Amino acid sequence: MIVGLCVLAAVLLQVMLINRLPLPAGGAPDVVLLVVVAMALLRGPAAGAIIGFCAGLLVDIVPPTAHLVGQYAFVFALVGYVAGRGVGGPATTVVLCVLMAPLVSAALGGLIADPRVTLSTLTEQVPVTVVYTLIVSPLAIWLVTRERPHPRFPQ
Amino acid sequence: MRDSRHARLILGTLLTVALVVLTVDHRAGAASPLWPLRTAGSWFFGTVEQVGGSVVRPVGGFFHAIVNAPAAQAELDRVKAENVRLRAGLAASRLDAARAAELKRLLGVAGLGGYKIVTANVVARRGQPGFEDAIEIDVGTGDGVRPEMTVLNGEGLVGRVIQATADSSTVVLISDPGSAAGARLEGGQEIGVVHGVGENGRLVRFRLLDSTAAITRGSRIVSFGSQRGAPYVAGVPIGVIERVEATPGELTRIAYARPYADLTALDVVGVVVGAPAKDPRDAVLPPKEGPR
Repeated sequence: MIVGLCVLAAVLLQVMLINRLPLPAGGAPDVVLLVVVAMALLRGPAAGAIIGFCAGLLVDIVPPTAHLVGQYAFVFALVGYVAGRGVGGPATTVVLCVLMAPLVSAALGGLIADPRVTLSTLTEQVPVTVVYTLIVSPLAIWLVTRERPHPRFPQ
Repeated sequence: MRDSRHARLILGTLLTVALVVLTVDHRAGAASPLWPLRTAGSWFFGTVEQVGGSVVRPVGGFFHAIVNAPAAQAELDRVKAENVRLRAGLAASRLDAARAAELKRLLGVAGLGGYKIVTANVVARRGQPGFEDAIEIDVGTGDGVRPEMTVLNGEGLVGRVIQATADSSTVVLISDPGSAAGARLEGGQEIGVVHGVGENGRLVRFRLLDSTAAITRGSRIVSFGSQRGAPYVAGVPIGVIERVEATPGELTRIAYARPYADLTALDVVGVVVGAPAKDPRDAVLPPKEGPR
């Protein structure tokens, strides 16, 4: 329930406020990704994959959408699983997930021949988004995981 | 380990579902079975976004203002500079119009009197009240200006050149206390001398050599002219008598005249480089003002 509300709030915050902020270099942090990563850090790979899938599906249907349904469900399910499994420490996991999400998304777009996925997208827009997300990530992770100071890491 | 396998199973299922959904949506296009889902999402979240938009908009506006502050400041500075420039341009064009009107009047005077003039702009002025009254003009010997030449403007006599360099000259105004110009009453042969009295050129003193001559307020005086037109050519309007002093027993009569030329606001003047062959007498005088 709390997870659902958090994801919903993050999605709405993302499309209503953050994406409309006129930040320098024309990017915006991906808050939904950070919430999925944080939830998955808390709850492990299986729950992380499910949370990611649901969050991605939500992102796919919240207007405005111009991409295919299922694209972000795929990406966030994968990210949630990886974050839940954990790769090294929490910091490494977060950085890896933040880097992985846009690349997987771009790869998926390339698979279905999305005309918006080009080399310039990868070299110009993706780095900006990644940098912004990394800047915001400590705050978002702290906000979600402060209940439990030590996230669970199934080894 | 069991947990991990379970998780992998779930992940695999979810990824497969996502890919199936993706493929169906991609293949079916507009006829996609996912359209109802999308429509419902659009309706529900669209409503939420509309309601939330009014709450969120001030926040966005605040951030917008903060982020755009440097650019807005630059824009403000640019607009201010442009404003100053436009204002200066406006003032300049107004000045140009005034200058054109003065030039036209000056040409009219020169044409009436048959003077050959060189037009000049006043570039500097010396004028402590009560002391010397002199101006600097932007023509000099290169334009044919020599010392002891008459300077006039569209209204009347201004002064004479006392010094000329290659491209600028000094002119002593008739309001300078040290200047004296021969003058003649309109419509007669009564002659006198015009002295400056300072006072910023509001008045000049006219000393009439014949103390018995009839002189009244409103009489007009023109320059008498000297030999070969130096320093003053003949026939240039000087001013209107404002006041006649009662000087019983004196050999001369003293009157005060208001110069035609506004000596405090000189801009375009003309230097008479060629005197008329014939004295224009009273021809250059402006139309007489009504009785006052």
